Amino acid sequence: MGIFKRLRSIQTNMVLASVFLIVLTIFIMSIISYYLTKDAVQSKAQAYTTELVKQVNNNIKSYVNGMKYMSDLAAGNHSVQEYLSNSTFSSLKEEKGYKEAISDMLESMLASRTDIASANVFGYGGQFVSGRKELELNPYIDIKTLGWYKNAQAAEGQNVLSPSHVQPVFKGRYPWVVSLSRELISKDGKKLGVFLVDLNFSVMNDMFKDIRLGQRGYLFIVDSDGKIVYHPQQQLVYSNLKSEKIEEVLAIKSGTFTSDEGRDSRMYTVQDSDFGWKIVGVSYVNELVGNQNEIRLSFVLWGLVCVLIAIVLSFFLSQRVSKPIKRLQDSMKEVEKGNFDIHVMVPKSIEIGRLARAFNIMVGKIKELMSQVVHDQEQKRKSEINALQAQINPHFLYNTLDSIVWMAESNKSKEVVLMTSALAKLFRASISKGEELVSIRTEMEHIANYLMIQKMRYKNKLDYEIDIGDTVYDYKTIKVILQPIVENAIYHGIKKKHGPGLIRITAEETAADIHIHIEDNGNGMDEEKLKSLLLPARDAEEGRGVGVRNVHERLMLYFGPEYGLSYNSKLGEGTKVTFRIPKSLRETEVEQ
Amino acid sequence: MIGSKHKIWVGSIVALLLIGGALVYGFGGLSKQKTIDVKVIIKSMDASVEFWQVLIDGVQEAAQEFDANVQVWGSDSETDVDGQIALVEKAIEQHPDAIVLAANDYDRLVPVAEKAEKKGIKLIIVDSGIRSEKPRSVVATDNVKAGREAGQAMLQQLSGKGKVAIISYVKNAASHIDREKGVRSVLASSPDIELLDTSYAESSEQNAYLMAKELLLKHSDVIGIVGLNEPTSVGAGRAIRELNLKDKVMLIGFDSSFNEITLLDEGVMKATVIQRPFQMGYLSVKTAVEAVEGKKVLKVVDTGSLVITKKNMYEEENQKLLFPFVGN
Repeated sequence: MGIFKRLRSIQTNMVLASVFLIVLTIFIMSIISYYLTKDAVQSKAQAYTTELVKQVNNNIKSYVNGMKYMSDLAAGNHSVQEYLSNSTFSSLKEEKGYKEAISDMLESMLASRTDIASANVFGYGGQFVSGRKELELNPYIDIKTLGWYKNAQAAEGQNVLSPSHVQPVFKGRYPWVVSLSRELISKDGKKLGVFLVDLNFSVMNDMFKDIRLGQRGYLFIVDSDGKIVYHPQQQLVYSNLKSEKIEEVLAIKSGTFTSDEGRDSRMYTVQDSDFGWKIVGVSYVNELVGNQNEIRLSFVLWGLVCVLIAIVLSFFLSQRVSKPIKRLQDSMKEVEKGNFDIHVMVPKSIEIGRLARAFNIMVGKIKELMSQVVHDQEQKRKSEINALQAQINPHFLYNTLDSIVWMAESNKSKEVVLMTSALAKLFRASISKGEELVSIRTEMEHIANYLMIQKMRYKNKLDYEIDIGDTVYDYKTIKVILQPIVENAIYHGIKKKHGPGLIRITAEETAADIHIHIEDNGNGMDEEKLKSLLLPARDAEEGRGVGVRNVHERLMLYFGPEYGLSYNSKLGEGTKVTFRIPKSLRETEVEQ
Repeated sequence: MIGSKHKIWVGSIVALLLIGGALVYGFGGLSKQKTIDVKVIIKSMDASVEFWQVLIDGVQEAAQEFDANVQVWGSDSETDVDGQIALVEKAIEQHPDAIVLAANDYDRLVPVAEKAEKKGIKLIIVDSGIRSEKPRSVVATDNVKAGREAGQAMLQQLSGKGKVAIISYVKNAASHIDREKGVRSVLASSPDIELLDTSYAESSEQNAYLMAKELLLKHSDVIGIVGLNEPTSVGAGRAIRELNLKDKVMLIGFDSSFNEITLLDEGVMKATVIQRPFQMGYLSVKTAVEAVEGKKVLKVVDTGSLVITKKNMYEEENQKLLFPFVGN
């Protein structure tokens, strides 16, 4: 079966249509649900990141607030003010007293704080007091060059928070710290020195190190200048193996934005803190949606599975429709081949069921008609044989030959010739050719010959008249159709009657038909016999009935059921037989 | 006729369904794909050697980022060649997807390293190479370049004629051979400088200290010493400090450590050429993962080097390199 032919089949069409619909539906649904899922997951991740960043902010804030608190205490401390503003002291003891008071104050601040590396006071007069007494200044470092020192001076009494850095001011130590520094100013506005408190950066590092946003996401902090306070991959950032959208981060106060880096797009969640730092959560967009490809692929695959199921379903559904049609088609093919002994199972579906039922009825009808045709043909053949038999009635032949013998004995040679030639014509007419139809003229000649023979046999007992107009001669009739009726008229009508009888043959023309009448004034029939005459023959009943019925049937078979014989008879008065034949054919037409 | 066609239809649909099911199932399996197994074998697990600790940090950062299962092994000391060979053998037995190796010996690790490649394990070299073309990639400082930078730094410090000595850590480590080559290529071009034969400290800081001291006492006209790695630099520094020659003898070192920073702060060491061990660790694992995933990897990845002087040592970008944030 070619592809195009297959495309025209109902089943393929149904499968294709439903598959197309289902594929379309699944496709649209998949896309919609994919994006819905993606959005849902993304907003959830965003909310989570925001919450996390806020918490980190609060944690840092508590550290920074602690440092600020220390700075405030130190700035307002009487001993600090006194110690730094006096360049000369009355005694070394007094100076030492102030120094110890400050040291004790700072030490007490640090007592319970492992997160604070140191708290120190640097006087512009070169004074140095630390909360950790073991610390010594690094002789190779000039503190005036350090960032936290310069920034504090520039801020004039405000707290300054540095980014994470190495603190080199103490001998033999290079700790990573976050510094809060503040210029110390006396009540009368004199600049006295700088206060420094260092927070161990490892505290923050430990806090952030384990924060992971998804598989690869992380957290970083920048200060207001865009300097990195904390970044898990700081070295990669410095060596340009990684880049951060620092400018965008600085541009927005708090909120979320997404970098456009294709597969590696990152979502930045920025939280501004009130101490100048920005805490930034970075998550990879493609990670947010679980594994984006996985989701996409599973959508595609499940879509595919649905489509396959749909194909199978639609295949079976369409088969339910097309299978009975196919079965019907197969049966029709059988009928085409001539097998009418077929009964299609009526399927459950209404439409096809009706079709099947109608088909069954149709086949039944055809079968009936066929058998009727066969039957009719058989009848026809039988009646033809009968007709032949009727033509050569052996008794008629014996009697005629007897008559000829008798006439020859009486030396009536002229009559012998006449009768013998009439008999010869009679035989020739009935045997000649195979043609069924002859002109009425020929049929009349035939019956004239027959009647002549009978007249010569019965002498005065029989008279006959043939009175037919010229106009009907050329119409066609079945051959040897009058003879059996005339024979009946002689043997059953005239012969049984006392005295001479007359047979009269006339014809009359109507618009469409021709009526040929054969009348005798013989014995006639009673009503009962008349009725039984044209009814199907009962085999037992011989004689008159057989010939008559045979003639009637032949006429009906040839010309149709409306044609045939009709009888009129009265007992003792005679019988009139009427042939009705159509005017359909004329001799000349047939010859042409 | 119709029957057979039906069979084909049904058959193909069943086949499609099976394929679909297999795909879904197979994908479900694939999605939990095996994490990549990487063994990193470094020169020394000694926690006091910051270089390797920082490198391990980089390794772990990359492991997390690329979702690889990474184990770091190392011999006890940088001279323990047999120990390292045994470690590589042990790693091969476990059949990881990749081995990242920092070779203790340029020649002696070749057979075992090539054996790993033969077994289908991707071999990546980090920091120190081997005499073989088999490794997929070499992730290291371009040591010749680093050596040239050290030589240049020395030239800037020197004024007047004199001798310059080079102290190397071990004899047959690729990184040291290359650095020496770089240093010599720069210094040899100067007519004022006479290069002394390289001294080998046999992987001991104490040896380096003694050698430098002997050298300084023996040659009064030594005006510069190059230490090719951290222990040799610190050893030489100690000698200069002890003999109080910091204004006369210029010391250029390699790498960074607390001791070296102190020397820089004190002005005993004039400059140090530092590598980027974090990058090395990070990039070696990244390259290993890419090689396992079948991506094309660069044959040589230069992680770069940087000259640090007293002037720029506290700059923001350099702090992280110079003051590694390990064990703080």
